[in-house]
This record gives sequence, structure tokens and C-alpha cells, in this order.
Amino acid sequence: MSSWYFCSNEIVNSPSRSDGIEITAECRYRREGARFIMDVGNRMNLRYETVATGIVFYHRFYMMHSFKTINRLIGAAACLYLAGKAEETPKKCRDLVKAVRTILSERQMEAFGDDPKEEIISHERLLLQTIKFDLCVQHPYKYIVKFAKNLKDDRAQIEKVVQMAWNFVNDSLSTTLCLQWKPQVVAVSLLHLAAKLSKYNLSAAPDGPHYDHSKSWWQHFLPEINSDVLEDICLQMLDFYDKTDVGASNYNMISPPKITMKVPQSIPYRTL
Amino acid sequence: MENYVQVTEIANGAYGRVYKARDLNHNRLVALKKIAVINDEQGIPISTIREITSLKSLQSFGHQNIVRLYDIFANYTVDRRTMDLTLVFEHVEQDLQTYIRNCPSAGIDTRKIKDIIYQIVNAIDFLHANRIVHRDLKPQNVLISRQGIVKVADFGLAKVFCENVPITSVVVTLWYRCPEVLLQSTYATPVDMWSVGCIMAELYLREPLFCGQTDIDQLQKIFSMTGLPDESEWPVNIPFSRSTFCQYTRRPVQYSEMMPEICQDGVDLLQKLLKFNPKERLTAEESLQHPYFQDVLPSEKSDNHGDVNGRQ
Repeated sequence: MSSWYFCSNEIVNSPSRSDGIEITAECRYRREGARFIMDVGNRMNLRYETVATGIVFYHRFYMMHSFKTINRLIGAAACLYLAGKAEETPKKCRDLVKAVRTILSERQMEAFGDDPKEEIISHERLLLQTIKFDLCVQHPYKYIVKFAKNLKDDRAQIEKVVQMAWNFVNDSLSTTLCLQWKPQVVAVSLLHLAAKLSKYNLSAAPDGPHYDHSKSWWQHFLPEINSDVLEDICLQMLDFYDKTDVGASNYNMISPPKITMKVPQSIPYRTL
Repeated sequence: MENYVQVTEIANGAYGRVYKARDLNHNRLVALKKIAVINDEQGIPISTIREITSLKSLQSFGHQNIVRLYDIFANYTVDRRTMDLTLVFEHVEQDLQTYIRNCPSAGIDTRKIKDIIYQIVNAIDFLHANRIVHRDLKPQNVLISRQGIVKVADFGLAKVFCENVPITSVVVTLWYRCPEVLLQSTYATPVDMWSVGCIMAELYLREPLFCGQTDIDQLQKIFSMTGLPDESEWPVNIPFSRSTFCQYTRRPVQYSEMMPEICQDGVDLLQKLLKFNPKERLTAEESLQHPYFQDVLPSEKSDNHGDVNGRQ
């Protein structure tokens, strides 16, 4: 079966590149598409997993198609539509079109043609064809929580680190990190970044007499990952913040973006 | 798709065509199963998405008694309402129907029968542990390799097909179908255990146990052998009344008379698999513990109840 992880060379030489689209433009399209999916998802009260799955579909889809051939707003809408089904939170296509209309300008809606519903459904087919039914997607969120449960005490500090790492995961969806690394690896890296920025030293909770104190905290969870990988991921994240005006609306939305993907109350974090 | 060269058509079933093909990339034989999925108002039906996703996630376990799914292709068709799916499965030389047909006239060795049944139950136990009901278990989709490894195929697809494909002229076999499905009552995992019972009997008999032509005929064939269940066991809210079948109240047939080679434990297992009441029917997990299988080598036993893959 196909792998959805790519090396940086493959990401740089994506189909959009052969179609004459500059890398900076592609990065912007990826970012905007991700933001668009979040906004529409939030408007439709979709769960954060559904939204994140839609965004991962979007990044994968544009590793196989160029932004020149497939309109990014339609592509994004189709990704969110399919993610709804894949995550067992299906929405009516009509309602998706309604939500899209509230966000896009009249002129932007033109991309969806006379029958936006049919346009999304036919792109859903193309999307399924492209991603070959690889619909079961994991995200770093659950690993953030899982790893944090196994970190040494000072709950208040860790909670702060977790919230920050959680926000990094939200923002990481605008980057190509999900095309490069497994969610576990992104999770430890962004916990690492959050801890560094909070000037807090993480350490794994010792388990048993064979606890190896010479290992870094994350190696207790992912022994095969070295610090170079972590640093690379942190740098990509910082680079993203450097180049992005995070609050800016890049596709001229009627209403300002409101990102509400916070750590959900349902995660029994405090009880640990 | 260009990497597959079709060799022959293996089957043209009620649900679609199956081809034997050569996978040029990996230089191996594969079975290509082609299905047309009808799109509804909302595009691809969520049921199709659900089934294919679970089919794919099951593959990550690499269970030895489950046929490997190598790849899936979705193709555009001229008609925008349908989507052609091609599922690429490993190719296994022979199915159990052919195996039974080709066995020597003296019959299949009873140790071999036990081994085959054990492997089928093992596969079904694995599917049920992962909340998948096969729904259409029959000798044609129980495959058997040259090494004698049994591989169950076509699980979970029955629903994708049934909900999406117009009924063709090809008749779906009723012979392995349990009473609750025939009576249009509610059903769940026990349906597969009934089919296991039918297949087990067929391995001893070398011919199908119940060969009905219609739903009613199939039920009549079943009751003529098992006897008519008590009024108290008859399901409620179904379109058939018990009195329709009242001529079948005579005593049940003795399996040991029909199958001289079957052992006492085998008869006991068969009776517990062919129970009319699905709640009384042995589950796959219980069946594996049945005394009939006690001389199956421990090395052939596997754990089917491990952690279910990631999805919450």
C-alpha cells in the first residue's frame, strides 16, 4: 500500500512545481487551505479530529495534484466533506455549501460553479481516487495527551506546556509536517518546543528499576528518534511563525477567522 | 492499474467480476475484484467508506487466515453516479468448493477437516473481535493455499455490495444462510457461526448440507433436519409464522448417521453451531475452546483479541 510520508526533496518537487507554481505560493496555498478547512469546520461545529483529518487529506491530495489544475477552495471543501464521513461525523453537502458561502466572497464562490454541491461531490470522488481509501488518519493531539500523562510531576507546569503544544499542533496543520513525520514524532517535537519556550525541563516518569536515566525524556516513548529530528521539526514550526502573520485572513473572508481548537474538556487530563 | 495484466476471469458473481492477474511491480499473482459503487445524493455512501476503511485497517494485523488486500483503485466511469472500485487481493490457488470437489473418493482425512475448520473459526474469531461480520461465508470464499493455509476472503464486503449494487440475474447462494436471516429477523455475528456449521458438515458429507432454492425452501430443508423450533423460540415481528412449517415437527436427524466419520466431539460442536436460536449458538471464541479442537497443536493457535488498531 502507498505511503503518505515524503522526504523534503519530494515536497519541494511537488506537482505544483512542475506546473510552474513557486514554492512560496504553494506554501501559502497550503496554509490558506488549512485555515479555510478550520474555519468551515468550526462553523459547522465539526470535531477537531474531523477538521485535522480534512487538512491531512488536503496536504496529501496536493502531493498528487497541482494547485493549478484543482482549485484549492474546492479541493479543501471536498477534503472536509470526505473527512466528515471518514470520522463518522457526516454533514449534508448542502450544509457544507451553506457554511462555505458564509465565509467566502461572492467572487470566490464563482470557483464552485453553478452547482457547488455537485462540484464538491465530484471532487470527493477524485479525492478518494487519489488517496486510495487511506482514510484512517492519526493526529498528534492524542499523542500529546498520552505522552504528557507519562511525564514527571508538576501538573500545573505540564498543563501549560500541553496547552501550548496543542496550539502548535493546530498551527502545524498549516505546514507540511504531517507529510514528513508520523504524528507521534510531531507530538514529541512540539511538546519539546513548548517546554523549551516555557523554560521547563520535561522528564519521563520512571517506570521500574530498569529506568535508563541517560536517555532523553522522549526516547522513553520513541527510542528511535534522535534530537536532530526534533530540532528540525521545531525549526520548521518556528520558521512558519516567522513567515506567517498568523491572524491574517489570506482568502479575504467576510468574517474574521476564529480558531477554537483548544484542548477539549473531555480529555481527562486533570484527573491524572 | 497499468501494472496489472489480466490472466483469466475467475468468477462472475452476483456482486462483480473477479480476475486473476499478474502484478508486474511485485511479480506475483493477484485476484482483482471489481465492484461498482452507486453514489447517492450525498456522494460516496458512508457505509462504503466505513466498510473499506475497516477492511484496510484489518490488514495491519497480518492475520494468517485472512486474505491479504494489497491495494485499492477507484476509477471514474462514464456514468457519474457510479464509481468502479478495484480491490487487489493476494491470489490463492484454490477455494474450498474446488478442494471438496477434487478430494479423493475416500473423503477428506478427518484430521485435515479439523485443521480446516479450526482455521476458519480462527479467522472468524479475529473478524468478530474486530467487529466485522462476514455475512456471506461459504466454501467459494474460503481459500486454501498449497501449504494448507486457509484464508477467508470477501468479509465485510457483503454489505457494500448489497446496499449498492443492483441485483443481477446471478443468484446468491442461500445454502449457508442462517434461519434468522432467512426469516428476516435481526442478526449479528452468530450468522457466521451457522455458516461454519454448514461448511463443517459439508467437509464430512462432501456435498452441501442444506440446498434450498428459495428462502422458504431453504428453511424447510433446515427444519426437516433440525426439527421445528419451539413456539417460544420463534422470533417476533417477522413475516413468517411458525405454522407455515408445522409439517417439520418430527425428530431431528442424527448427524452421526449422516456422517459416519465424525467423532462424538464433532457431533457436539456441529449441534451447537447449527442452533436455531442465535443466542444459543457457540461464538467463534467459544468454539476454539471446544473439546473437538483440543488436539490442535498449540503452535497453530493465535491470539485474535489483541489491541484493536488505533482508531478510538
